Amino acid sequence: MEKALIWVHGDCLSPHNPALLAQPSAPALWVWDEALLASYGVTLKRIVFIYECLLELPVHIRRGEVATELLHFAEEHGATHILTTGSPSPRFAEICARLEQRYPVEVLPGPPFLSGGGRYDLKRFARYWARAQHHAFGDSG
Amino acid sequence: MNQDMRRDFASRGELIAYLREQFPEAAQGDEQVPAQRGGRRAAEAALQAVRPHAYGKTRNFLDGAVTRLSAYLRHGVLSLAEVRDHALRQVRQREEAAKLVNELAWRDYWQRVYAEIGDGIWRDREPIKTGHTRYADALPQDIQQGETGLACIDAFSRELRETGYLHNHARMWLAAYIVHWRRVRWQAGARWFLQHLLDGDPASNNLSWQWVASTFSHKPYFFNRENLEKYTAGIYCRGCPLAGHCDFEGRYEEIEARLFPNRPAEPASPPRRR
Ligand SMILES: Cc1cc2nc3c(=O)[nH]c(=O)nc-3n(C[C@H](O)[C@H](O)[C@H](O)COP(=O)(O)OP(=O)(O)OC[C@H]3O[C@@H](n4cnc5c(N)ncnc54)[C@H](O)[C@@H]3O)c2cc1C
Repeated sequence: MEKALIWVHGDCLSPHNPALLAQPSAPALWVWDEALLASYGVTLKRIVFIYECLLELPVHIRRGEVATELLHFAEEHGATHILTTGSPSPRFAEICARLEQRYPVEVLPGPPFLSGGGRYDLKRFARYWARAQHHAFGDSG
Repeated sequence: MNQDMRRDFASRGELIAYLREQFPEAAQGDEQVPAQRGGRRAAEAALQAVRPHAYGKTRNFLDGAVTRLSAYLRHGVLSLAEVRDHALRQVRQREEAAKLVNELAWRDYWQRVYAEIGDGIWRDREPIKTGHTRYADALPQDIQQGETGLACIDAFSRELRETGYLHNHARMWLAAYIVHWRRVRWQAGARWFLQHLLDGDPASNNLSWQWVASTFSHKPYFFNRENLEKYTAGIYCRGCPLAGHCDFEGRYEEIEARLFPNRPAEPASPPRRR
């Protein structure tokens, strides 16, 4: 039987995040990335803010090495695959790559800001905006 | 072994005490935790307070109608689309929300650049255009402690550390002071901001620092006292011991000549604002 585990990370702390919505009854986990906290020297106020976000979500909260903790948790719950929401962070990609050695990982896209897909010229904001402004005002745009 | 962290707290104070004990290193710098709350409920309340039209007219002023949604957007508690849709519902004409939508787009833009260059956000995107090549690696203590003697800069330093938030204009001034007046590598300032900002985001933060520095823009961003005084209603200059003879006095052309003597001259115009 298919059994999902949801990975909640720092770019998707809404109860409406696509992974939580897709599998409302699946166990979900947040892991405090201890190496990241230390390397950034993150202060307590940022941790409190994120923790308050977590307290409104149906997640287990742990700390340590993110991929390792996720793999333990997946084993404990007999998960068959891992579901999460996308992030541009390279660390996110690294963690996904480690998880994929053991489980299939499905990454759902977050809600798009622009209605028009495709590639944008990112050399300068002005170039991006020249095209993006036609897609930035939602369906009415 | 794999123990879950606690979720049951009788009060915010109890949560903070628990986290202080769990994360002693992070707690070292923070005697107090700012009032701004995390979570979807707080985010929705903040969203309800957004005034798109007033925002467009006043956002550059320190007491302007800025949204303070950044920490929620940063962590995906709210999405850019959700804020945009809400703003459009608040106005009669789309133009009244145009400025806010444009600012939201800056976040979308930086995120797209991040997706493309990854850890490259920590390296100069382009050569620096200040005419200088040597920058200090470390952020000076007097800036970190808020003891430069400049009332504005010291207030911004304190506000950053105590509240985890700074108005966009204050971020620009503080970053310009660090990079151009003190000639410190932008990465040192960027790292400091990420320690403290509740909205600390590697993409928005580092790429904005690069925009100020001129490694991701056509020219360095700088300002003068008149500009700062105007957008702060003079609250810093009025009580500043250095008022009238601070580092920021003078016309743009004079300051430019002082800060960047080796930079090829350009037709004088105040730097473009974001
Ligand atoms: C040196 C420097 C560092 C910065 N570091 C960060 C950071 O770590 N995280 C961060 O979210 N923003 C950063 N910004 C951008 C901007 O200053 C903040 O997003 C904004 O001040 C947050 O306050 P607000 O929510 O009241 O913004 P508002 O003016 O009300 O804007 C609404 C939303 O639009 C987005 N936005 C507005 N302006 C910008 C901008 N210039 N760049 C990107 N997004 C923008 C934000 O998500 C913001 O919440 C930085 C800017 C500078 C100059």
